[in-house]
Amino acid sequence: MKIKIYSTPACIYCRMAKEFFTKNNIKFEEVDVAADRRAAEEMVAKSHQMGVPVIDIDGEIFIGFNRRDLAEKLGIK
Amino acid sequence: MYDLIIIGGGPAGMAAGIYAGRKKLSALLISKELGGQPVLSANIQNWIGLKSISGYDLMQSIEDHLRSEKNTEILIDDPAVFIRKKGDFFEVETQSGKVFGTKTILVATGSRRRKLDVPGGAIYEGKGVAYCSTCDAPLFEGKEVAVVGGGNAGLEAVVDLLNYASKVYLLVRSDVLKGDIVTQEKIKASPKAEIIWNAEVEEVKGGDFVTGIKYHDKVSDTSKELLVSGIFVEIGLLPNSELFEGLVDMNEGKFIIINHQTGATSSRGIWAAGDVSDGLYKQNNIAVGDAVKAVLNINSYLNSLK
Repeated sequence: MKIKIYSTPACIYCRMAKEFFTKNNIKFEEVDVAADRRAAEEMVAKSHQMGVPVIDIDGEIFIGFNRRDLAEKLGIK
Repeated sequence: MYDLIIIGGGPAGMAAGIYAGRKKLSALLISKELGGQPVLSANIQNWIGLKSISGYDLMQSIEDHLRSEKNTEILIDDPAVFIRKKGDFFEVETQSGKVFGTKTILVATGSRRRKLDVPGGAIYEGKGVAYCSTCDAPLFEGKEVAVVGGGNAGLEAVVDLLNYASKVYLLVRSDVLKGDIVTQEKIKASPKAEIIWNAEVEEVKGGDFVTGIKYHDKVSDTSKELLVSGIFVEIGLLPNSELFEGLVDMNEGKFIIINHQTGATSSRGIWAAGDVSDGLYKQNNIAVGDAVKAVLNINSYLNSLK
């Protein structure tokens, strides 16, 4: 499973999502869209919106941090 | 049957949980999540005892404190959806269908952001209309944006955006700013910021994403439009009090009316504290103190039932 999170440095929901992955021993790639313009464009193209975080799990796009949705997708109790 | 069910997991709810634990009440805290509104504050500088802390870190430390009080049970991800009065007691039903009985209830459900209720406001949410400047400001690097609202939160959004945007318009309904003087001065000193007074937002314009904002200039009585790709909205708070409609008295703004000596509502057995109450000042320190006061009064009430 490949997980990519698009985030910004001061975004609390991004931090919550990353801590959620870490706590559950799930590997993820992080891109800072504040520093990386192309990543920002990629995020907007994928999610059709401009809010962070955006989480891409094997091509399935999750906008924002919703613990329940992610837990369901990743099979976490 | 619990002694106390606390509904809400922000500063007021968690403070109540800690005090309920210390009073050895059998208590249950029910909330969608723990943390509440302060979580989004990048930097809190008025929490007594700490010169500066992020909202996230502050709420983590309060949560750790709460979890160390073993008497208070915590139910998250399963919010309360219905409250039933049964004689002298109450039943609280959660989203998943669980039902809990309790002798008393403390309402600490807080408040939420008022949304921009004009044509385009909802459709373009996330597509240029934004409610978290600390999160989303970097996505507007080099772009022109507008902030709606002249209170503290609006001013802080302008400051966040000045780090990235090429131009920040601040649309204010009146001809005064209500926020902190220090922040006002910062904005007035920036060549990139422009304050538009007496502006009533009429419409969000766009294609796939926001392209502009239309507002009514109350002085010249004409409609004007600004070409912006982002609109950050900071137009005040709405109480999360819907669940208690008909159970307790509320003021015109639907904030729950409390006795400010005790936190008691108009309904015997129900207390309220924090931003959902009709207190004049919505502050973390005050929410916490009011919740503590309410739990002490709840404890006296429970003793009087024995």
